[in-house]
Amino acid sequence: MGGESRYEIHQSAYIKLVLHALKHRTSAVNAVLLGRSAAAGVEIVDSVPLFHSQIGLLPPLEIALIMIEEYYGEKGLSIVGYFHANERYDDFELGGVAKNIGDHITRYFPQAALLLLDNKKLESLQKGKDRSPVVQLYNKDASSSWKLVGSDASSQLALKEPSANVVLLDYISSEKWKDIEDFDDHLDDISKDWLNSKLFN
Amino acid sequence: MVSKTEEDQLIRLENQVENGGGGAWEYLCLVRKLKLRRSDKVFKYGSAILSDHKKRSALGPEEWTLYEQVAIAAMDCQRLDVAKEYIKVLQGKFHDSKRVGRLEAMLLEAKGLWAEAEKAYSSLLEESQFDQVIHKRRVAMAKAQGNLSGAIEWLNKYLEIFMADHDAWRELAEIYVSLQMYKQAAFCYEELLLSHPTIPLYHLSYADVLYTLGGVENLHAAKKYYAATIDLTGGKNTRALFGICLCASAIAQLTRGRNKDDKENSELHSLSAAALEKAYKQESPTKVSVLSSALRSLKVSS
Repeated sequence: MGGESRYEIHQSAYIKLVLHALKHRTSAVNAVLLGRSAAAGVEIVDSVPLFHSQIGLLPPLEIALIMIEEYYGEKGLSIVGYFHANERYDDFELGGVAKNIGDHITRYFPQAALLLLDNKKLESLQKGKDRSPVVQLYNKDASSSWKLVGSDASSQLALKEPSANVVLLDYISSEKWKDIEDFDDHLDDISKDWLNSKLFN
Repeated sequence: MVSKTEEDQLIRLENQVENGGGGAWEYLCLVRKLKLRRSDKVFKYGSAILSDHKKRSALGPEEWTLYEQVAIAAMDCQRLDVAKEYIKVLQGKFHDSKRVGRLEAMLLEAKGLWAEAEKAYSSLLEESQFDQVIHKRRVAMAKAQGNLSGAIEWLNKYLEIFMADHDAWRELAEIYVSLQMYKQAAFCYEELLLSHPTIPLYHLSYADVLYTLGGVENLHAAKKYYAATIDLTGGKNTRALFGICLCASAIAQLTRGRNKDDKENSELHSLSAAALEKAYKQESPTKVSVLSSALRSLKVSS
């Protein structure tokens, strides 16, 4: 299945995930990953932050997935993965909701990547020169259960731009997360742009 | 719950203070009144006032309320040094106060000293059995330690005593949803709907849970509650409008071949879709085509 897949994530997709988690640090958040299969593995080109409340409910998720697929389908991209950040700092467990959503995505894209925010890595980002993404990578193995891809997944999940973490730290210090808008925000006020098209301009 | 006007006022004040326009005290009072969690801002503005002798004395007796508010915010931001300092000040002013005792126990919590905090709360409860804040801290502690079943147990015990606390019912419902215990979450919303039948949020959340549970009966019920939400919000609730479309589509799929209320179903579906398209044309023009395709795909599958 996805055991040997290699993933490369673009800077803007990656940064959006972390900024979204930082904007809503007292709740769990999630996002979908958009991309395509490439010769060397899976290219994660973009991400759309989804929700920061009541993540386990179906209706908002279904609407979000339909709209996202419609939009990105025209660009030749599909949903290739899912990102989840747990509510608690020290919770490294992949919960039921995350697994279910991951299962659903895997039905349409078997090498789907499930990324879980690694808070400890995020915290130590300031101190080190770590070039690996601050997430844990999960894949579905032959027995159809979600397996953590080694504690040092940097060989299978890489940041496309090596300075992505430096840029991320810069955005964190300038509190850029305030500008991120997710699907929850959009459903509350449809003028909010879940594409975040003006975020990095 | 916070109304739209209150939210706008809060954001306006926040921006004003951030840009040096004053109004910090007003902001802090509003946050306190609405019981919101804005710990980083409260800590920043509050400690600025408290460390300025003139500003502090200008507050009069409100000074102590501010110390309490900022101490809690400091704990939330893990600035335990500052929290400890402010609690000491309060201890000096109010000897043997249970309210200060609560803050001391919260500090133990913030330090992660769960057993000690539990002991402190228990002894405080012996003297004041019906202190809601302490009961809720117990739930929070269980949640913080990842003991969700413990949190549920404590919260249920709390609700047996304080059954009118609608925020607690909502908290319980949200914990159930996060654990995918949708039937139990539905029960919480049913309780809320009984006591507050005119609050659209409860109708909406209940509808969402029913849809998630699935099955034709639940979908029909969900549709009714989405419709009630639309009714109570004058047709302006995007989530409810989408909900109708999802329900109609799912019902049609499940009852394929049986023509019972096909007409009513599709009429409601069309009305909701039309309302959504109108709203998007006005407020989100760049997303109109994505919306139309999405609505079309829901119709096709129905």
